[in-house]
Amino acid sequence: MKYEVPIGPIHPALKEPIMLRFTLEGERIVDVDVIASQNHRGIEWIGMNRNNPVQSIYLAERICGICNFCHPSCLVMAVEEIAGIESPERAEYIRVIQGELERIHSHLLWAGVAAHELGFDSLLHYVWVVREKVMDILELVNGNRVTKAIIMYGGVRRDIKEEHIPKIKEMLEYYKQAFSKLAKLFLEDKTIKMRTREIGILPYEEAIKLATVGPTTRASGVKKDVRQDMPYFAYPDFEVKAITPDMLTGETIGDTYDRIVVRLLEVKQSIEIIEQALENMPKGDILAEPKIIKVINQIKKSEGEAVGRYEAPRGEDIHYVKLREGFEYLYAWKVRAPTYINILSWRPMLLDMQIADIPIVAASIDPCISCTNRVIVVKGTEEKILTAEELHKLSVQKTRRLRR
Amino acid sequence: MNAEEAMQMFKEAGYEAWISEREAGVKNKAKKKSLWVKVDKEKIREAVEIMIENAEEYPHFSIISASDEGDNVELNYHFTFGYGKLLEEFVISLKVSLPKNALRIKSITPIIPAAILSEREIREMVGVEFDELSDKRHMFLTKDFPDGVYPWRRDETAPKETNKLYETWKEGGK
Repeated sequence: MKYEVPIGPIHPALKEPIMLRFTLEGERIVDVDVIASQNHRGIEWIGMNRNNPVQSIYLAERICGICNFCHPSCLVMAVEEIAGIESPERAEYIRVIQGELERIHSHLLWAGVAAHELGFDSLLHYVWVVREKVMDILELVNGNRVTKAIIMYGGVRRDIKEEHIPKIKEMLEYYKQAFSKLAKLFLEDKTIKMRTREIGILPYEEAIKLATVGPTTRASGVKKDVRQDMPYFAYPDFEVKAITPDMLTGETIGDTYDRIVVRLLEVKQSIEIIEQALENMPKGDILAEPKIIKVINQIKKSEGEAVGRYEAPRGEDIHYVKLREGFEYLYAWKVRAPTYINILSWRPMLLDMQIADIPIVAASIDPCISCTNRVIVVKGTEEKILTAEELHKLSVQKTRRLRR
Repeated sequence: MNAEEAMQMFKEAGYEAWISEREAGVKNKAKKKSLWVKVDKEKIREAVEIMIENAEEYPHFSIISASDEGDNVELNYHFTFGYGKLLEEFVISLKVSLPKNALRIKSITPIIPAAILSEREIREMVGVEFDELSDKRHMFLTKDFPDGVYPWRRDETAPKETNKLYETWKEGGK
């Protein structure tokens, strides 16, 4: 007997709405269908029909609250390439630091969510307390914790000042110390291991065929990282290496546990990059052209197309931009956020898993589309609605069962 | 295979191809390269197969983008090539121009399964019909979105009635 279980379209546990339709045989998942588009905001359309290119930076920032630096960066890179705008050296370093600060906060946010999905709420609270440190630094440097409005065509809008540096260094020390504790909590805890080892496996071949990106693909052993393969900003100076789980555990399985390993190691990597960047940051201007109207005019006179690529916390982000001379808006703009391509991997990960594994496996790709509000279990013509709390309870119950 | 070799490979197969470059880095300079290849619509699968046959790793499909060029719609199939090695990756974009009176092209999903979401998106946003695409449901637009309206087009099929809620400034604050 097969059952269909739709999850979504709205769920407070995730950030935006999406719907998953599961076909089940008993507890076993035999098919998964993803129905996106519960809340399409037409951002590309606004950029192509309503906003000038500078306004579109701030619009791009609002594609995602968590990676609010990576989307505008992608757009800026593409437009700078077309219009031939060069950024000062110091600005390229500040962009790297901003990007890595964002990666630290995003990965820690995810680690908390993952702990919560497993029913390990004390760990959620601990991780999010740890995350506050980087949020404080973001606020100190940018004046805002989330939408930071920092990047601009030809540089950045705010400098990292001398007085910021000791505070950033203090944060780095704090994370170095917190790292060993976090690694112990996440990687050695028996319960987390039981709930994530061999759960939601994405084999290497599937990861390649489905064109997955970011920690999701690296956890399956694909050494793909834009910062390594085709570096941008000042990244060629840092020689970033793509992180795969075998660097820590000696083997790559491609399961949920491996995805935790990759993200934790990436936090460590980000700390090292920021340290190196602060050490070697050149002096000088931060913006090539401070007069916005001049920048807009230069872009308006440009014609051409380019692809901007950026390694966001969730994976490779791509913006394709086409400009046409005399045209007021972006002539064409296509945004491909990492989750767009990563949601395809849910199917191979979730097949043959149990309902109680859905929250942690779905969360393991760190989806940046929101989700599940309630589950409707349809049996014949009868419907039973499972709330988010009930679904969460099922997951927590599985953890408890395993611990017995 | 680097970008120049890939360009040569496409040229030998009879395609028009060119490279655009951009420098990155402060102390160590690195060139970011993009290879652009013009492809006839009948040859889209052939062009993708050329890449698959010659790549060390399976070519990484990124996205299909589209732009309205008046009488034509231009599709760009973006792939990345040569990942996993320091500084060796580059972007390959296959450019296909489709006349507006025949917006049809073969789906590449039988060889690149990951393209399914993107083809569904292009189908609803631009109105291009993909032959042999197994799933033709809407991807981002709602089920009841009217037929014949394509948001990314710049002609009579573009949406006429948009939400005016945020455009009061155009009406003098009325």
